[in-house]
Amino acid sequence: MTEVKKFTYYPGCSSQGSARHLEESLLAVLPRVGVELDEIDDWNCCGASVGHIGGCQTPNLALTGRTLAKAQQKGARDVVTGCAACYLNTHGGAEQIKADVKTRTQLNVALREAKLSYDGDLRVRHVCEVLVNDVGVDRIAAQVTNPLRGLKVAGYVGCQTVRPFAGTAGGGNFDATDEPTFLDDFSRACGAEPLPFSNKTSCCGASIAVMSPDRTLALIKTILEEARDARADLISTPCPLCQTNVEMYQAAINRQYGTDFHIPVVFYSQLMAVAFGMSAKQQAALHRNTIPPVKLAAMASSGAGDAR
Amino acid sequence: MSAASTEVRPAYDLQFARWVYRNIQGGDRLPLCMQCGACSGSCPIGVQMDYGPRKLFMMIRAGMKDEVLRSNTLWNCTSCYRCMVRCPRGIAVTDILQDLAAKSAQLGFAPKGTENVRFARAFWWSAQLYGRTDERLVTARYYFSFGLKEGFRRAIANLTIAAGMVRTGRMHMGLPRRIKDRRGLHAILAKARELESLE
Repeated sequence: MTEVKKFTYYPGCSSQGSARHLEESLLAVLPRVGVELDEIDDWNCCGASVGHIGGCQTPNLALTGRTLAKAQQKGARDVVTGCAACYLNTHGGAEQIKADVKTRTQLNVALREAKLSYDGDLRVRHVCEVLVNDVGVDRIAAQVTNPLRGLKVAGYVGCQTVRPFAGTAGGGNFDATDEPTFLDDFSRACGAEPLPFSNKTSCCGASIAVMSPDRTLALIKTILEEARDARADLISTPCPLCQTNVEMYQAAINRQYGTDFHIPVVFYSQLMAVAFGMSAKQQAALHRNTIPPVKLAAMASSGAGDAR
Repeated sequence: MSAASTEVRPAYDLQFARWVYRNIQGGDRLPLCMQCGACSGSCPIGVQMDYGPRKLFMMIRAGMKDEVLRSNTLWNCTSCYRCMVRCPRGIAVTDILQDLAAKSAQLGFAPKGTENVRFARAFWWSAQLYGRTDERLVTARYYFSFGLKEGFRRAIANLTIAAGMVRTGRMHMGLPRRIKDRRGLHAILAKARELESLE
C-alpha cells in the first residue's frame, strides 16, 4: 500500500484565515496516506452560500467556472478541496456545467474575456470522500504511531460535507446524508473513542450564525449540550465554518443561557496529525484553536497516548 | 348582500407559479410537490420562518407573489440541505429557496435592511474585487453597513472573538489577499452580469 495519487488542489479562502489549521494539518497528513496535492494557480473564491444573492447566479457560477478553468490547466486529474462550502459550490457547479450545454456555452463566453476556457470534464471531490474511497480507513489506521487512547470524540459532520452530494454517484456515494459514519471511522482509526452523537449532521447556522448570531445560538447550544452530556473531550469536525461557529460562540451561549461550555472543537485532520506522531504546533496546528484541546495536546507533546 | 365579492383580497398573480417553474433554479420539479411537509419538518430553523417550505410552495401555486418574495423564509434558510435530501419527490428545495432569495433581493422585494442582503453584498464586494474572501473586511463592511453607531456596537460585541482569532493567527492581518489576475476576473464577471441581464 505505497501507491501515491495526485490531485489538483483547491484550498479555498478560509484556508488562509479562520481555517488555517485545517489546511496546515491536512498538508501534513495527506502525503503520509499517499495523497499528493498540486495547488491551482491563482484560484478564486467559490461564492460560498451568499454569492448568488450578492452577485446574481450567472456571475456567481462564473467564479466557479474561472477556478475550474485554472484547474483544467493542471490537467484532467480530479480536483479536491477540504472546505465544505467550496465543495458544495464547486462540485455542484461542475456538475451543472457538465450537464447543461447552454450553461457551459454561456460560461465560456464569459471566460473568454480573460482568455480562459473550461471543457466541463473535471470531477470535484471532498478530501473526506477521497480518504474514504481512494485511501481507505485501513491505510489511515496503518499510519497511526500514537493512538489517541481514551480520547472521547463527538464526531460533528455538519451539513455540506455530506449534503446534498454524499449519496450521489457524482459524490462518490461515500456515505449517508443523515447518519454518516466516516468521521467516527476516522476517530476510531486514530485510536480514539467515537461517541454516539445524534446531532452529527445538525446545522450550526452557517453564515446566518456569522451575520446574526441571535438567530442561531440555540442551534449551536443543542450540539454542545449533547457533547457535554456524552462527556466528550472534544468535538471533531471536517467543516471550516462549523469549527469556527461552534468554537467561537460558546462564550456568547454561556452568557445568554447561563451555561459553562468550554469544549474544544478540532478538525479530524488535527486528530490524525497527532495520531500519526506529528508535532502539536507545526503539523497538528493545535495552537490555532481558541479553546485549547488540552487533552489532545498532552498526547502530542508527551507522546503519552500509548501509555494511557 | 354579497359580502364576499366586496372583501379586499390579496392580489393573486396567476402567472407567478409558472414564472417560478421556468425561472427559478430547481423550479422545474416544483409541480411535483405533494405537500407532504418532509421539508418543513426537517428544517433546523423553521420555527423562525414566516412559512415553512411546504406552505411557501403552496403559496407559490396560489399566486401569492408578494407574500412569497417578501417572506423571511428566504432569509432564514441556512443551506443545510436536509429538506432537499429528504424530499420524496426529488425537489431541490434548498436550491429553490436560495434562488428565490436571490430574485427577491434583485427585484427589490427583500425588506429594507435585511441582514442577509447586507451580508451578501459585503461578501460579494470582497469576492469580486479581490477574487478572495477577506473574512475580516467582509465582517467589518457588514457591521458598518448598518451605520457607524450600530457598526461599532456589533464590532464591540464581537471583540473577544476577534481577539481570539488574532491571537491564534486566524485573522489575516495586513493587505487583503488578492488573486493576481484581478483584471481578468473583473472582465469575466462583467460579461457574466451582461449575460444574466439578457436572460
